This record gives sequence, structure tokens and C-alpha cells, in this order.
Amino acid sequence: MFSNIITETRGEDTMVRYYCTAGNGMESFLVEEVKKKLAARDVHQIPGKVLFSSSATIHRVCDLKAAERLFLLLKQDSPVVMSTHTSPAKTASVLRSRLLGDRRQWLSAVMTWSRLQGELAASRSAVTTSTTHGVREKGRGSERQSDEGKKCRQEFRKRSHSFTAEESDEKRQRGREQIRRHALELEKDDDVKESEEVCATYSKKELEQNVESCSKNMKNMDDLGEDAPLESVENVSFRINCKCSGSLSRCAGAQEVSKVMGAGLSKLLGWKADLKNPKLEISVFLSDDYFLLGIPLTRLPLANRSYIKSTGLRSTIAWAMASLAQIQPGFCVVDPMCGVGTILIEAANEHKAACFLGVDIDDGQLQKADENTAFAELQGRVHLLKASSKALPLPSASVDAVVCDLPFGRKFSTRVNMADNLPLILSEMERVLCVGGTLVVLLSPQLSCLLKKLLSHTHSGPKGNKEGESQTGIKNCLVSSSEQQISQIKSSSSQETLTISSLRHQTTLRVSLGAIDGLIHKYIKTPD
Amino acid sequence: ATEVKVNEVEFNPKFVCRMIPKLEWSTLVQAADQLGHREELPGELVPDYEKNEDFLKKVHRVLLEVEVIEGCLQCPESGREFPISKGIPNMLLNEDEA
Repeated sequence: MFSNIITETRGEDTMVRYYCTAGNGMESFLVEEVKKKLAARDVHQIPGKVLFSSSATIHRVCDLKAAERLFLLLKQDSPVVMSTHTSPAKTASVLRSRLLGDRRQWLSAVMTWSRLQGELAASRSAVTTSTTHGVREKGRGSERQSDEGKKCRQEFRKRSHSFTAEESDEKRQRGREQIRRHALELEKDDDVKESEEVCATYSKKELEQNVESCSKNMKNMDDLGEDAPLESVENVSFRINCKCSGSLSRCAGAQEVSKVMGAGLSKLLGWKADLKNPKLEISVFLSDDYFLLGIPLTRLPLANRSYIKSTGLRSTIAWAMASLAQIQPGFCVVDPMCGVGTILIEAANEHKAACFLGVDIDDGQLQKADENTAFAELQGRVHLLKASSKALPLPSASVDAVVCDLPFGRKFSTRVNMADNLPLILSEMERVLCVGGTLVVLLSPQLSCLLKKLLSHTHSGPKGNKEGESQTGIKNCLVSSSEQQISQIKSSSSQETLTISSLRHQTTLRVSLGAIDGLIHKYIKTPD
Repeated sequence: ATEVKVNEVEFNPKFVCRMIPKLEWSTLVQAADQLGHREELPGELVPDYEKNEDFLKKVHRVLLEVEVIEGCLQCPESGREFPISKGIPNMLLNEDEA
């Protein structure tokens, strides 16, 4: 699907510059993704963000899996530099000159934003008008839906001339699935009452043809969410969301910057600040290295997937892990501790011709995984099994990839300690993998350390692990039939190297999981 | 099996094609038979199945759409039965089996 990237028939002026926030460690995944899926140009990576330009449809952009939030880039430039001795008045003046700039730039950016919102809303309306059971219904049979959606879209086309979303039907077909999913995601924060209020506050002034047609469509769609295209770029209500870091935050706090920006914008464009229910949110990032101004394009982070009901691991990380596994069509992929199935679902949505097996020991988790699978409509390709990761009911060398988020020790089942079982779990993972197969695991820093030791060829007896949380470095676990933990502290290397020796380490990546960090390890099974 | 469900799953020929070589055909047919959902599944793999959409659809049905909700899996070697509940087989081994 992604190989037929949009042919550039429209030319440079339809390239939109975006930026996405990304969790720490995810930036390179996102860079690769925008290049591959959106034919992105001028891709620029900075800590926590990726900037890029693309002429892909907004739905495709919203379908990015490694991104947190998506913004339309308003302005980007070298950092605002001020000394701490600057007077508030001077500070305000510097901020205004650097950040506010040209009126036309703002207007054009807002027009673009409005157009994109229109494109998003248009497809959503197309979906909702085609389902008979009302807004929230997911709808069976994507084909039927999209057929009706197509009809609605064609009607649309008659009403609006310059509505760029309608330009290419072909693109629509590709984006069909994304439309549905994204539409539902947007539907979640539908607030019909609010949108009506918003409509009421607009003046009837109509600036340009496309704005005019946007507004016509807006009136025709009866259950629009907040992100409707703007009827006019005058009288827009806005709110500033500011983040300052580095030395600048000592001169001018986020609040101060917001105030200056807010006042400045009002003066420049005649907009009204509205802290509660703004039409437009302006995001300002000021750091020692750059400043960024943008407008968020979606209300919810892209990381909130419309196709997952109960979340476990953050979807972006799950997707990244699956991408590391380099899943090919026809692959069998197993997650031996699947939990609610996040990794499987992200992987299955990305790789449509592979099949997935989730294994877990806990009924509750499996139940949620089952619900998630059904909700994402993946029942045919994602199967679940109740079993122990220490005794996988799979023949040796039968699986093409193993992807797993290993419990970080604290959440694991009450009886056993993760560190003690790591050798056996790893050994099972290795056993079921066929030669050339990939293993991708996510571990806590402590477990990561332990794993590294396990796989190295030097074994010395117990070593105190730095955190002291997990028990001593290496314990030989003789998991006999009647006992779960018999730790024998032996310095025999033979025990450890038995079945884990054929895993060749490829890469280790550090990613932020919010409050803590995780480490992703990737291995390939070698013939041995 | 005591409860079998037939879901409607979108037909993806590429996926089915890819899965067929990984299957133990006779086992699949036998299982389908036992569930009473064999329909017209041939006893032997049809040669050149990649182009045979009709055949692929049959395989798709048995592989992706027929689901055992309650029942059991039986190991052909040991005869050990693994229960299936709510669509999920329980393959945890008892302590003395490990």
C-alpha cells in the first residue's frame, strides 16, 4: 500500500510542513516512517521532535505510528537569546519581534490549518452519513462503507470547488482504512453543542473562495466536531500553549511568553484570546537551540489509537518494536507475554499478510487481548493462547519472529521473580525461533543488564546488580518440576550458554516509557 | 467442540496464500471435519492454488472464519487434551508434566 506514494502532480505549493513530537528514543523510528510512508522531504530530527514536509493527504499523515502529536509548523528559527538582565519590556519586545513576525505568514498558516481540518472533517462526515446506526457505530464491511463514503464525497465535490481533499479519488481509496479509523478517533471527542456555539461566534465575513466553500460544507454537516474549518480567518479565538526550556526559561517563563504572544497576536490579527474553548491552539516551544511555533492538527495524540480498546504498552513503542522485527508477508510472529496484545495489534495492522500468536498466562489479560483483537477486527490473523512463556507449546524453529515486552519485574505474577526466570524465558524464545528469525524484547534497565550478562560468554558467579533490586547477577535456575525457584549459585558456564548461544545481538535502543526508560534489544538467531 | 462460531473476516488472498505452505494440510482438513465445517475442502492440496480464488476462499473460511469457542485440542501423540474456553486454548502444563 505504501509503495504507491502520491505522484507529484500538484507541485511544490501543496507541500505542507509539519512537526511531530516523539518520545525519547523514538525519533529515528519516526524519521524512517515519514520518509517511507509520506515521501517526506527536508526531514529534520531534534530531541523529542521530527520536522518534515510532505504533500501526502492529511489522513496519511495522521496515520503515523511512531509519533505522539502532530502539528502544523508555523514558524521555526534560531533560538531567542536574552540575558537575565533584560527588562520585561525589552523581553516582550524581543519576543514579539522574533516570534510574531509577519501577519501574512500567520494568515496563510491558519488557512492551511483550516484546509486540513476541512479535509479531516470531510472524510469523517462521509463516514458518518454512510452508517445508518448513527455516529458511534464502527460499521461492518469496510467496502460498503467506503462505497457510500465515496458517494458522499462526490456530492461534496459538487458543492465545493477548491476543496482540495476531493482532488484525487485514488488517494481516497488508499486512505480508506485510515479515514475510517481516524474518523472514529475524531468522533471520540465530538462535541456537537460546542461546535454549534463556535459557529455562532463567527462573523459572516467571507474572505476567499475556498474559505467560503469550507463554511458551506460546515453548515451541511450536522455533527461536526470542534475542528471544523474556519469560516473566516478574522475573529478567531485562540490560546497559547507554551513550553520553555533551557536558559531562556530563566529570563522569561512560559506564562510571560504566553501573555506577550497572546497580546501580540490579538493586536496583529484581531484575534481574541480564549483560554477555555479556543478555536485554535498555538503551541510555542522555546529552547536553547531553537524556537518552534505550531498549531496542533488533532485534538488527541496520534498515539491514541482508535483501534485499541484497552491499552498496555504505549502504542508507539509497540509499533517500533514490531518494525524492528522486520516482519515479512507469511511470517508467524509470537509474543510469549502478550498481555492485552498491544504489540500484536500494532504489528498486525502494519503487516497485513503475517499471522500473530499471543501467549499469556493470565486470564484477565487474555480476555482484554481478545477484546482488543475483536475491536481491531483482526481475529483471523491474531490468535491467543493461554500458556507459560517458560514452556511454549510450539515446536522448535517454527516461528519467524518473537516480539515481547518483558514485564519489568514489579508487575509480573506474584510468585516468581522475573530476573530468576529470564534465562528460561529467553531460552524458550530462542528455541521456537527458526534460524534467521528475529527476537525483539523490551526490558527494564536492570533486566537489560542481566540479559547482556546472560548472553556474554564469560560467566562468573553471583554479581551484585547495580540497583540491587533484582537479585544477584546470575543465578542458575534449575526449574525442576516441583519447585519454581531453586537458585543455585554456581559459576558453571555450561548451564547458561546451552540454548541461548545462537542469538546474535544486533542492536540495543533506549526509549522513554514515560516515567521510566526501557531498553529494546534485537537479536537474530544464527545457525549454531 | 461444543461451541463453534463463524465470523465474517475480510478476505485477503495474499495472506491465505502465504499461510498455506505453513499448514499441515491433512490436520487442517481433519480438524475442519471434526468441527463439521469441512464444507468442500479437498483432502489434498490443490496444485497451483495461488490462482484459484475459489479454493483460497474455502481455506480462508476454515482458517480465519471458523472459530472454536468452547472445546478442546488434543495432542495426537499423547492424547492429552487442552481445553478451549472463550476462544482461547489453555495449554498450561501441570507441574508434573513439565
